[in-house]
Amino acid sequence: MATPAAERVFLRKASGLIKSASNTDVLIYDLGLVSIGLGLGFLLFYGPAAYLGGNLYVGTLIAGGAMLLVGFGMLAWTITIPRSGGIYNFGTRSMWPPLAFTLSFVEVTAWLFYGSFGAVYLAQLGIAPSVTAIGIITDKPGIESFGTDLAGKWGTFLIASGALIIGAIILASGMRRFFFTQKVMFTIAVAGTLVFIGSLLFTSRADFVSNWNSVMGDRLNVGDDAYNGVIDAASKGGWSDPGFDWKQTLYLSNWAFLPLIGAAFSISIGGEIKQVGRGQTLGIIGAIVASVVVWILSIALVFRTMGSDFLGAVTYSSLNGVEGASTPVTPFPTLLTGLGTSSVALTILIALGFIGWIWLWVPTQILYPTRAIVAWSLDRVAPDKLGTVSERTHTPIPAIVLCLAGAITFVGMLAFTSFFQLVIFIEVAVLAWGLVLLAGVFFPYRRPDIYGKSPLANMRIAGLPIMSVACALGAAAAFFYFFNLFFDDFAAGHARHSMSVLIGWFVGAFCIYWIMWFIRRRQGVNVNLAFKEIPIE
Amino acid sequence: MFRKRDSSGELAIFFATDLHGSNVCFKKFVNAGRFYGAGVLILGGDVTGKMMVPIARQEDGSYLTSFAGKELKLDSDDDAAALETRVSDMGFYPKRMSEDEFQELRDDPEGQEAVFHELIRERLEEWIEYARPRLVEQGVKCFAAPGNDDAFFIDDLLADSGAIELLEGRVVEVDGIEMLTTGWSNETPWKTERETSEVELRAMIVEMIERLERPENAIFNIHVPPHATALDQCPKLDEDLRPVSSGGNPVMTSAGSTAVRELIETHQPLLGLHGHIHEGRGIARIDRTVCVNPGSNYSEGVLNGSLIKLRQGEVRDVHLTQG
Repeated sequence: MATPAAERVFLRKASGLIKSASNTDVLIYDLGLVSIGLGLGFLLFYGPAAYLGGNLYVGTLIAGGAMLLVGFGMLAWTITIPRSGGIYNFGTRSMWPPLAFTLSFVEVTAWLFYGSFGAVYLAQLGIAPSVTAIGIITDKPGIESFGTDLAGKWGTFLIASGALIIGAIILASGMRRFFFTQKVMFTIAVAGTLVFIGSLLFTSRADFVSNWNSVMGDRLNVGDDAYNGVIDAASKGGWSDPGFDWKQTLYLSNWAFLPLIGAAFSISIGGEIKQVGRGQTLGIIGAIVASVVVWILSIALVFRTMGSDFLGAVTYSSLNGVEGASTPVTPFPTLLTGLGTSSVALTILIALGFIGWIWLWVPTQILYPTRAIVAWSLDRVAPDKLGTVSERTHTPIPAIVLCLAGAITFVGMLAFTSFFQLVIFIEVAVLAWGLVLLAGVFFPYRRPDIYGKSPLANMRIAGLPIMSVACALGAAAAFFYFFNLFFDDFAAGHARHSMSVLIGWFVGAFCIYWIMWFIRRRQGVNVNLAFKEIPIE
Repeated sequence: MFRKRDSSGELAIFFATDLHGSNVCFKKFVNAGRFYGAGVLILGGDVTGKMMVPIARQEDGSYLTSFAGKELKLDSDDDAAALETRVSDMGFYPKRMSEDEFQELRDDPEGQEAVFHELIRERLEEWIEYARPRLVEQGVKCFAAPGNDDAFFIDDLLADSGAIELLEGRVVEVDGIEMLTTGWSNETPWKTERETSEVELRAMIVEMIERLERPENAIFNIHVPPHATALDQCPKLDEDLRPVSSGGNPVMTSAGSTAVRELIETHQPLLGLHGHIHEGRGIARIDRTVCVNPGSNYSEGVLNGSLIKLRQGEVRDVHLTQG
C-alpha cells in the first residue's frame, strides 16, 4: 500500500499500464514534426519570392498565434481522450462513424502526401543545393553540375523514393530503431541549425557581398557586382518591394502554418505519454513557441547578413526564371548561407542540419498513417491484413508497405507532373482538423460520461467547459487557415482540378467506408458495433 | 436455459477483461449480451480496482480529496456524492472519512488493506445484484475469472453469486466447446496476488489441459497473453518500476508468458482469450490458434471487448469493440 507524494489517495499492489514517452520525448517528437529547417526554408524562399509585400515576421507570428489556438483545442481532446491514434479516436467518440472515418482517411493521406513532399524537398532543397554550393565554392563544375542534376526530375524521384524506402525499413524494423534514428537526426538538425545561426551571426553584410560576388559573378554574368546585379536583374524581371501588404502577409503565413501543424502531432501518441497533461502541453505549445522563436531569429539574421532586397530578388528570380539572377538550383538558405560563408566545411554542416530537419518528417509521416490504418483494421473498416503486426519486429508491416507505395506514387506525381498545387492536401487536412475541433466544442455536452472523467472537467471559462472554449478557438483558427489556403492560389487555391481532387478525396473515403461496411455485412459483421456505446439499462 | 447458438449454428461470445473496478464498464459488460447479440459473456481477470480515494471531511463541513493528481476541495455533500459516482465509474474506490481517520490510515498499511477489502467486497456485491436480474432476463450465460491483481477472497464472492459462474482453475463446457481458465500470471515487477514462476504456471495449465477431451478444439482463457506476440508488448521496468531506457528511448519488452506460448504452440487450441497488458489490444495468430487481447480503457469508462463468433469448430470472426 502506498500514498503517492502530494496525493490524498491509497494504492493497492497491482500491475499497471506503463506509459513510456517522457515530456522531453513528446517535445522532440513535436519539434521534429514541425521540421524547423523545412519551415525556415519555406518562409525564406516562398515568402519573398511569391508574396510581394508580405512581411515574414508578421506572417510567422500570425501563424504561430493561430497554431497555438489549434494546439489548445487538440490539447483539450488529447487530455480528455488520452489514446494513441489521433483524430480517428476523437472523431469516433464524437461524430457519425462514416464521417469520422472519412476525416481520418483524408487526414492521414494528406500527411502521407507531406511525407512525400518532405522526401522531394530532401532532394531539391536539402541535398541538391548543398552539393551545388560545394561545387561552386570549390570551383568544381562537375560537382556543381551533379548537384543541379540531383534537383532534376529523376534525381528528385530517386532520392525521394530512396529516402522513403529507408524510412519505411527503419519503421518496419521496430519502434526502438525508429526513435533512436529520430533522436540522432534531431541532434544533427539542431547542431546544423546552430551552425547556420552562428554563420549568419559572424558573417557581415560586406563579407557576404564579397563572397557572393567572388563565387557568383562569372556564373550570373551580371558583372563584378553580382550582389546588386541580381537585384537589378530581378527588378527588371518584375520583382519589387511594394511595402507592407496585409493580404500577402496572411497568404505568406500559410508557409509557417503548414509546418507548425506538426507541433500537434503528439495527439497520435497520447496513449503512450506518462503525464499526458503536462507532456502534451510542453510538447505542443513548446514546439510552436520554439519554432516561431527560431524562425524569427533566423529571418532577422538572414535579412541582416544578406539583405531583404537581395533575398527577395534572388528567390523571385529563381521562381520566375529571371535571366542573369537565378542560381543553378533553388536558393534555399543552405545554398545562400554556404555561398555567403565561402566555406566548404560550414556548407556541409549547415546542409546536414537542414537535411536532418527534413528527414525528421519523412518516416514520421509514414508512421502516423500506419497507426490509423491499424486502428481502422481493428475496427473492421479496413482489410484485416492491414492490421497484422509482425511477431518479430512488432510493427504493422503490411500497413507500412501500403503507405510506402502510396508515398512513392505521390513522389512520382510531384517529381514528374504539376498536377498538384504545392500544398493542396493541407487544405483537406486542415478542414478535417477544423471539423474535429468543432465536434470538440459540443463534446462536453454530448458525452458528459466521458468528459466527466477528464482532468479538465472542473475547469470552466466564462461558465463554459474549457474544452468547448479551446476547441471553438481552435476550430476558428483551423477554418481561417482553410480559407486562407483556399484563396492562396500559389500555395493551394481553388482551381477546378484541385477542388475535384479535394472533393473526390472526401467522397472516395466516404465510399471506402461504405464498401467495407457492405463487405463486412456480407461476412456477417456489423461494423457499426465497433463504435457504438453500450447502453446501460 | 440460456441463448447460445443462433439459427445458423453460430455461437457468439463477448469477452472483456481488466475492468479494474469500473462501475460503468461492468454495467456495460452486463448489457453487452443483448447489445452485441452474444449468448455467452466472459469476464477476464483483474476485476478489482487499484486505488482508494479518501474524501476527508474537514472541520468547516467541506471535503478534501484528490482528483487527477490534484488536491480538490468539495463544498457540499452533493459535490462529494458526484465525485463518488465519477471515481467509481473510473474504477476507483471512494471512501468518506474524517480528516483524522485519513491521517491515521495514511501511516497504517494494514488498515488500508482492510478498507480496500471492505470496499472491493461492497463493489462486487453491488455488481452481482445489478447483474443477476439482467442476465436472467437476457438469457445470457456469464462467466468470470479473477486475474493476477485480484485478491483471493473475491473467488468465493463470485462462486456464491448465483449469477456469474466462477471459472478459475476449472474446465467448463460452453455449448460443446471446452474452456480452461486461469487468472494466474507469470512473475511481474509488482509482486501481485496471483503470480508465479513460468514452471509452476505451466504445471497449472498442463493439469487443466489433461482434463480436456479435445485440446485442439478448446478455448484457453488465460489472463496472461502468450510471450512475444502483439498482445504482450509493454515498456521494460527496472526494480524501482521505472521504464528502462536505451539511447534515450524506452526499451519495450514482451511481458507475456513463455509457458502459455509453448502450450498454445503444442496443443493448438481453437482460441486464446487474454488480457493483463492493457496496451496490448489486438489479435494474434499462433499457427491455427487465434489469440485475442481486447485491451482495457476502463478509467475512461470505455468497455474494450471482443465479439467472437464460432461455428463448426472454427473461429469465424473476431471483432474488437470499444463500447
